[in-house]
Amino acid sequence: MLDRIIRQSDFLSVVRELARQRQIIGPVAREDRYFYEAVDEPDKLDLSFNYCVYGPRAFLFPPTETLFTFNQENGHFEAEPVLDRRPMAFIGVHPCDINAIRLLDHVFAKDHRDEHYLTRRENTLIVGVDCPKPCTEGVFCADMHGNEAKGGFDVMLYQVNEDADDVTFGVVFGSKAGREWLLYSRKCMTPTATDERKFEEYQRMKAAVFPRKLKTRFEDLPALLDRSYDSLLWEATARRCYSCGSCNLSCPTCYCFNIYDEMDMTLNSGERKREWDGCQLENFAKVAGDHNFRPKAASRLRHRIYRKAKWIQEHAGIPGCVGCARCDRACTAKINSVEIYNQLAEEV
Amino acid sequence: MLVQEARLPATEPELYIPKPARILRVQKLTEYENLFEVEFCDGRSLDHAPGQFVQVSVLGIGECPISICSSPTRPGTFEMCIRRVGSVTNHIHRFGEGDIIGIRGPLGHGFDVDELHGKDILIIAGGLGLAPVRSLIQYILDERPRFGAFYILYGAREPKELLFRNDLTIWRERHDVNLHITVDRPDEQWRGKTGVVTTLFKELPSLNPNETAAIVVGPPVMFKFVVLEVLSRRIPQSNVYCSLERRMKCGIGKCGHCQANNVYACIDGPVFKYGQLKAMREAVE
Repeated sequence: MLDRIIRQSDFLSVVRELARQRQIIGPVAREDRYFYEAVDEPDKLDLSFNYCVYGPRAFLFPPTETLFTFNQENGHFEAEPVLDRRPMAFIGVHPCDINAIRLLDHVFAKDHRDEHYLTRRENTLIVGVDCPKPCTEGVFCADMHGNEAKGGFDVMLYQVNEDADDVTFGVVFGSKAGREWLLYSRKCMTPTATDERKFEEYQRMKAAVFPRKLKTRFEDLPALLDRSYDSLLWEATARRCYSCGSCNLSCPTCYCFNIYDEMDMTLNSGERKREWDGCQLENFAKVAGDHNFRPKAASRLRHRIYRKAKWIQEHAGIPGCVGCARCDRACTAKINSVEIYNQLAEEV
Repeated sequence: MLVQEARLPATEPELYIPKPARILRVQKLTEYENLFEVEFCDGRSLDHAPGQFVQVSVLGIGECPISICSSPTRPGTFEMCIRRVGSVTNHIHRFGEGDIIGIRGPLGHGFDVDELHGKDILIIAGGLGLAPVRSLIQYILDERPRFGAFYILYGAREPKELLFRNDLTIWRERHDVNLHITVDRPDEQWRGKTGVVTTLFKELPSLNPNETAAIVVGPPVMFKFVVLEVLSRRIPQSNVYCSLERRMKCGIGKCGHCQANNVYACIDGPVFKYGQLKAMREAVE
């Protein structure tokens, strides 16, 4: 069921208004590819983009950020947490990335609240744009239930009608904040029976065009991996792996980080920071004294696949992989996760 | 907007910020390890369980996980045995009495002492593994009537690497502690036993396996062989406890570094039951 419909031109005018209050972040074309970027002028957004090279996680969980600043004198120190409260709006997030953000929300709130992430997140409005068709050949988002957002957005837009000279979006509200924001603009219209019929048609079309790539059902991946710990495939595949971490870098659900200090020139004050880390990098599990708990590329590759398709889901109840295939696209050795799952499925 | 989940923990803006703590005493234990006695500058108690750890900061250098090696039955101050091996620990070794370090914690899941009450206790420690388990040894000695027979097997590579020599002397003299020590490579003065720690099992009397809890703490290489000895003494797997060492950065289950298969050493451990661990191949291999 649609809550409202809105014309794309009207929607963009509402976003232009929103830009006075919030930093707008959305898909921008750079030559032949799209990237999520902070824009001052919402007309730069292209909501019919195929995919963004990276997900929008960097705006919620930056590649580097300061956790706290400190001052010390004669050994005594004082520290002040650094939180970024600037309001943001993500305009045009595909379902895979909405699902990825849901996972990040969970892990950064679980047990201990990580205010650095959650402060940004709580000040971020998310407007999703649904995908009518797969963005590339490699995606397996339908297998991972990643191509549909059942929550985690404030507003979701469905491109139900583009036969006129303007696209019309079907609107589904995901939160009170999203509803109030868009209704306040008075640009929305009540969906007619025709609109609802077109939305149903849209959903039928969508179900038909998304391919199923995996030979294993998503629910059965943990059991498949349970049986595959000693498979030779890890070693065989990892022979190609450069341990470059491109898969981690491009993954919208990767959230591992390292913590380090930076001092200023006076050596009295500085910052404790964190930066993205990647489990495929050789030193990821290495402790002082040089013992490496995961010294082989094969064990690191297996670790990543287990995290994405088993452990995170078991811990969080939310899939650790959304099937966006960014890791496969980014891989410098053409290691392909669909191929790994399907080869394992053939072994047993 | 973040769709709020039903019950979120309270806000923790200072989650990553260490609290200042003052070094009260430094004691040289070996060439590489010093014992630091520390108290929080604000006077609060650490309030930990044996087996838990803290994140120790030298601001400007960094932070590293260190196990607490004193017992909560001796509150007010706490002790850490620190091996100088990385940048933070090498820095701390230059510190002396009165110097300030940062402490986050206590962190992790320690020994469930209630579960151990009433049992015979067999502790097997290798090398630096004696440090985390010393908190439990002190606890047992301070609450001695609540435990049955008490055996400690301790192995080090060389005599000069033996930690807590004063403690070892005291423990050896107590009639209610059964302590055995071995070294892999003896020197000329060494009069004690020689061999890896598993050779000490033959010094044990016959155990009452169902009433015995075995605690195994040591370097990864030791783990498998010791557990094998323990199980061959018919101690049930549910009575075997281990403490895991891993790379830990955040200490609160976020940063991903300390994961071993599907557990995080920092929040699910560092103390685990062997029953939990045996499914975790990365922990036992």
